[in-house]
Amino acid sequence: MNRNYLFLTLLMLVLAIGTFFIKKDDVYKNQIKPETLLQVITQPSRYVTTDQVAKRIIEKDPTLELIDVRLPGDFDKFTLPDAINVPLKDIFTDKGQDNLGIEDLNVVFFSNDDIIADQAWVIATRLGYKNMYVMKGGLNCWIETIINPTMPPETASEIEFEQFRFRKAASLYFTGGSTTQPVSVTKAKVKVRRKKKEKAASGGC
Amino acid sequence: MLIILKTKVMHVHERNPKRTLITILLFALVIVFGWITMKKPRFNYALTPQQTVDMVINHRGCFHPYELEKVLNHKGGDVILIDIRNNFDFAKGHIPGALNITSVNLLNEENIKQLDEWKKNNVKVVFYHDDQLQANGAWMLFRQIGYSNTYVLLGGYRYFASYKDNLKQSEGTCLKGTAKYDFATVAKKSVAGFGDVSTSKPAKKVKVRRKKKEKAASGGC
Repeated sequence: MNRNYLFLTLLMLVLAIGTFFIKKDDVYKNQIKPETLLQVITQPSRYVTTDQVAKRIIEKDPTLELIDVRLPGDFDKFTLPDAINVPLKDIFTDKGQDNLGIEDLNVVFFSNDDIIADQAWVIATRLGYKNMYVMKGGLNCWIETIINPTMPPETASEIEFEQFRFRKAASLYFTGGSTTQPVSVTKAKVKVRRKKKEKAASGGC
Repeated sequence: MLIILKTKVMHVHERNPKRTLITILLFALVIVFGWITMKKPRFNYALTPQQTVDMVINHRGCFHPYELEKVLNHKGGDVILIDIRNNFDFAKGHIPGALNITSVNLLNEENIKQLDEWKKNNVKVVFYHDDQLQANGAWMLFRQIGYSNTYVLLGGYRYFASYKDNLKQSEGTCLKGTAKYDFATVAKKSVAGFGDVSTSKPAKKVKVRRKKKEKAASGGC
């Protein structure tokens, strides 16, 4: 057997085996590039206000998916209606990811304030999930604006008063709705439907 | 293609043994050339998602406002403050000594060069925006692509601006992530407040909600 053939064969073998050691860059398939991540991170469009969230809860918006990223202990004590609990530490587990990326659902992360929710958002965004938002101010802001809204000063604009009226109503909705009195609950539902109609009408014009 | 080359080599070899060597060299050259021109991404994630989760859970990489005092008195060692707001806000006021790199430009070539240098020299790089939340994303990104020398300023510029005279004493008001209220009791209290009259109140509730309707209508037009 010719030695030259042996050389060639060996070279090929070495190179072939070498390909096994080429590092795979993307272990997580849908992961987005760091450049893209920076672009989306610098957009403030991910923040939604407590008013917007309250409105969508009251309207029973079926596309809303609330994710509470606090610890289960806190979640059991208090959370927003129909919220799912995915603690920040579990966001990357399969169970946590099951709640993300569901078609047509808008995820809203919230925590005590907005930092932890935002961190969950950054990690989930890196993993390639879309349609996610962060409730600005978190539950602290929820209590301050929705549950115990403060009356604006007399000099405030009409818009601020409208906002206050909405918050007052929302406060009644959320605190009253949770008294577990079936009567009030059904009534609340009826009201909600009325609102929906009106909204559709206003959208028309 | 390899097979073609190899078969070609075999034929050539029969006439001229030296050509085998040339072929081997050519072969190696092509591979080296391919290796060099291989498209490599500019940035790679140095932390896996799970490592990132662990990092934020353990509050690594936070820079407390009281640490700023040392920096401002030039005793803090190698610390660089980077203001990631736009130049307009930066011009209105910033932490003394801070550099301004607007967050969208952070990954630009020259900025990365500078950051690499700081990383090499173990310089702490502290990002800040108006508050911690707005700097959180940029900081998390840089940690994830391997800049383990980056930090985020708790409280942000707003906190600094209002407490710059006693950064030490007022610590705590800038810490985020904690519950300001006992949510369950606050919510319950409200329930109790309305609950006493709740049986007779449904009518009132209706009124309130009507107002909400108005709001939606006015918003629509």
